[in-house]
Amino acid sequence: MSAFIDRWKTALQHYWQRRRSLQKAWRQHRYIALDLETSGLDPRSDQILAMGWVVIEPPIIDYQQAHYFVTQAQPDLKQSPVVHGLVQRDFVDATPPEQALERLATMLEGAVLVCHHVQFDWKFLQQLAKQHQIKLQPLAKFDTLTYEAARLRQQQHHIARGSLTLAACRERFGLPNYEAHHAYSDAVACGELFLAQAYQYAGSSSASLQELLAKAK
Amino acid sequence: MQPDFAELNRFLLDCPPFDQLAAEQRQWIAGQIKAAYVNEHNVEEFFRSYSPALYIVRSGGFDLLAPDGHLIERLESHDLFGFPSLLSGREVVNQLEVVEDGIIFIVSAADFDRLRQNSRAFELYFIRAHERRLLTETSFSQPPRTSATYPEGAAPAYPQGAAPAGYVDALQRPVGEVVQREAVCLTSTATIQEAAQAMRKEKVSSIMVVDDGRLVGILTDRDLRNRVVAQGLSYDIHINAVMTQAPATIGMTQTLLDALALMTQENIHHIPVVDEDGKPIGMLTNTDLMRQQKSEPVMLISALNKVQDRDALIAEAAHIPDYMHSFAARVNDAAAVGRLLASLTDTMTRKLIDFYEQEHGVAPAAYVWLAFGSQGREDQTLSSDQDNGLLLANDLNEKQLDWFAGLGEFVCQGLADCGVPKCPGDIMASNPDCRRTRAGWLERFESWTRSPTPKALMYCQIFFDSRNVRGNKRLYQAYREDVAKLGRSEFFLGNLARLQSRVQVPLGLFNRFRGTESGKDSDWVDIKRFGIALINDIVRLYSLHEGLTEPRTLIRLQLLESSKLLNRKDNQALAEAWQFMTQLRLQHQLAVWGTDQPKNALDPDELSTLTRRQLKSAFRIVKESQQGVGLKFGRIG
Repeated sequence: MSAFIDRWKTALQHYWQRRRSLQKAWRQHRYIALDLETSGLDPRSDQILAMGWVVIEPPIIDYQQAHYFVTQAQPDLKQSPVVHGLVQRDFVDATPPEQALERLATMLEGAVLVCHHVQFDWKFLQQLAKQHQIKLQPLAKFDTLTYEAARLRQQQHHIARGSLTLAACRERFGLPNYEAHHAYSDAVACGELFLAQAYQYAGSSSASLQELLAKAK
Repeated sequence: MQPDFAELNRFLLDCPPFDQLAAEQRQWIAGQIKAAYVNEHNVEEFFRSYSPALYIVRSGGFDLLAPDGHLIERLESHDLFGFPSLLSGREVVNQLEVVEDGIIFIVSAADFDRLRQNSRAFELYFIRAHERRLLTETSFSQPPRTSATYPEGAAPAYPQGAAPAGYVDALQRPVGEVVQREAVCLTSTATIQEAAQAMRKEKVSSIMVVDDGRLVGILTDRDLRNRVVAQGLSYDIHINAVMTQAPATIGMTQTLLDALALMTQENIHHIPVVDEDGKPIGMLTNTDLMRQQKSEPVMLISALNKVQDRDALIAEAAHIPDYMHSFAARVNDAAAVGRLLASLTDTMTRKLIDFYEQEHGVAPAAYVWLAFGSQGREDQTLSSDQDNGLLLANDLNEKQLDWFAGLGEFVCQGLADCGVPKCPGDIMASNPDCRRTRAGWLERFESWTRSPTPKALMYCQIFFDSRNVRGNKRLYQAYREDVAKLGRSEFFLGNLARLQSRVQVPLGLFNRFRGTESGKDSDWVDIKRFGIALINDIVRLYSLHEGLTEPRTLIRLQLLESSKLLNRKDNQALAEAWQFMTQLRLQHQLAVWGTDQPKNALDPDELSTLTRRQLKSAFRIVKESQQGVGLKFGRIG
C-alpha cells in the first residue's frame, strides 16, 4: 500500500516538476536535435540504420557534444543507400543499437527532443526502446515541421508541395544550404532551424518553453 | 562516437587560413567548435558570454563596430573576427551589430592557441591580418559618424556652426605633420659621386639641390641609374647636369591626399616639401605615404596605375563603387570622398591616354586634357557624369586633328566603360565642339560672355571649373589666365548673378521647406541643385571677379578670405553650408545605394529634427548669399 502511495507521490512530483519546468524560459532549456536514418517508413518492420544528434543550449550548438551512431551491423538496406549514402562498409564499425539508445536516453533526460517531423523519429525510437526495455523520457518534443506549417498557415500562405522539407524551411530563414544528407548533418540542420524558429517567435522576450511548444502543435 | 563533420570540414577548407591546416588538425577543430545562432535579440549576450574567441561567420551578416560606433567591417559568410583581442590580449572593445540573423562558429582561445602552435601558416595569417586591422582601426579612429543608418534618425556629422574638426582619414593629415626627415641638401655644383655618397650616408633615396636657400632641383637614385650609369657619364660631373630642375613641390599645410594626387599625376615618388617662402623643409616619399596608411585609397590608385590594358582597367574600376561605399561610410569629411573620386577619374583618364598612345603613337602636338565641372572642382560623386575637353596647340593639320579626335573618342568611351557616365549635354572631348585651340576656346567663352542666353550661362559655368589632367602645363596656364581675364567682365558677372538669383531656394513661408520635385515626391528637396550647386555658383562668381584660377570650392573660399566683397563671416558660413550639404548628400547617397531613389533629392520629413534644422539654416545661408550676390553684381551691366 505504501509502495503504491510512494509511486503516486513520485508521479505527482514528477508532474509538478515538469509543469514548473515548462514555465521556465525556453532559452534556459537543453534541446537534443536528432535525425534518424531508417531502412523504410514503417517502424514495425523497418530498422534504424543510423542516428545523429547534437545538444543545443540556446544559442549554442556544441559540436563537442555531437553524436553519430551506425546501429546496424547487418542492415537490410533495400532502397535506402540511395537516400542517405550509407554503404555496406559503413556498417563495419556499427554500435549495438541499445548502447546508442542508452546514451540518447541519458541525454534526453530533462531535455526537449527536436526533430523535423518528430512523430516519425519518435515512433522508431519508441519501437527500439521497447525492444530493449529502455525508457526515453524527454521533457517535451518539438517539431520544426509542425511549427513551420503553422507559421505559414498563420501568414495565409498556400502550402505548396515540397515547401516543408528541411531544406525549404531553412531557406526561408536564410540558413545555408547543406550538401551532405546524413543523420548527423541533418540533425545539425534541424537544430539550426529550431533556433531560428524559436528566436523568431520569442524575440528578446523570456517566452516560456510551454508557449513555444504551443506554437508547434 | 563523433561524427565526421563532413559539412563543417568542407566549409573550413574554403575558409582561409583553415585550409592550410593539416587534415587531422582540421578534423580536430571541427569537433571543438561551438555554433551560435546570432540575432538582434541575443547578440550582446552572445558577444559578452563567448569572448575572447575567434569567430567565423557561417551565415547571415554582421557589422563590426568600433567603440565610437564607426564601422570597421561588414562581416559575411567565411569572414573571421575577434582575433585582434586574442593576439594582443587586450579587452574586447568592438561591438557587433546584426544585419541579418545567422550562424557564427566559435573557436575558443585555447583551441586557437593550439592551432597556432601547430601550424606556422595559420599563425602567420593572423599576425598579418592583425597588423592590417590595426592600421585601419587607428587611421580611422577620429570622430565617429553619428549614425550609419541615415535616414532613420541620423544627424549630420558635425553640429551647426562648427566646421568639421580633425580629419578622419590619415590622407587628410597635413604633409608637415608627416615629413620627419630633414632635407638632405647639396648645392648644384656638388659632384654626382658626392651626391651618391651623401645618399648612402644619410640612407635616403633622393637629394634636394639647393642654391642660396632656394630649391633648384632634386636628384633621386632613379636618376643616378637612368641618367648617369645608363648613360655612362662621369661621376665627377656636377649634379645640376643630371638633376630634375624645378621639381613639383608641396606645401606643409597641404594634405597627404594632395601629395598622393601629385605623385600619381606626375608619376613621381619624391616630393620636396617647402615652407611658405619656398624654403625646402624635407622630402616626402611614396614610402612615407604608404607608411602613413596602407589604406585602400592608396592601394586602389596604385592598382589602377599598374594595369596594363583597357580591359584590366575596366575590371579594376568595377571595384570602385563598392570600395567607395565602405570608404565613404568611414570617412567623416565628404569633401575627401569627392577628392578621391576625382583623383580616381584622373588616374583612369591618364591610363586611357597612355593606352591610346601605345596604339597610335605619342601625341603629335602639345595638348591638355581638361577636366570640367565636378571632376574639375574635385567634388565628384558616384553619379557624376563626365565633363571634359581637349585644349590643342595651334595650326594642327588634318591628320593631327584625327589623332586627337580618336583620343577623345577612346578616352570618353573608356571612362564610360569604367563607370563614369557620359555627359548628357555632350561636354566631352569626343565632341568636336569640345576640342579647341586656345583661341578656339576663348572665342567660345567670348560668345558666352557677350551674348549670354540663360542656357549658355548655365553651360559656361561648367567650363570655369577646370583642371589640367594631362598635358602641357604652360599651354594650360596661358589658357587659364585668358579665361580668368574674360571672367572678370562685369557685364558677364552681372548676367551670371541675375541667373543665380532666379533660382529659388527651397525655403517657403515661415521657414518651411518647399518641395522642389514633381510627381509623388513633390515634397522632396533637391539639395544638389538648390544647395551645393548654388553655393558652387556663388563662390565661382566671387572667384571670377577676383580672377582666381583655382577650381575647388572650399579652396576658392580660403583664397577669398582677403576679398573685400565677401566678408569673413559670410565666407565661413558658405563653407560650412557647403560642407554640411555635401555630407548630407553623401549620407543620402549611401542610404539609397543600389535603389532607383533619387540621388540628390531627399524627403525632409525623413530627417532627424537636428538635421532638418541644420538643413534649413544651410538653405538660409544660401538664400542670403544669393541676395548678396544679386546686390553686389546684379545691378551692373
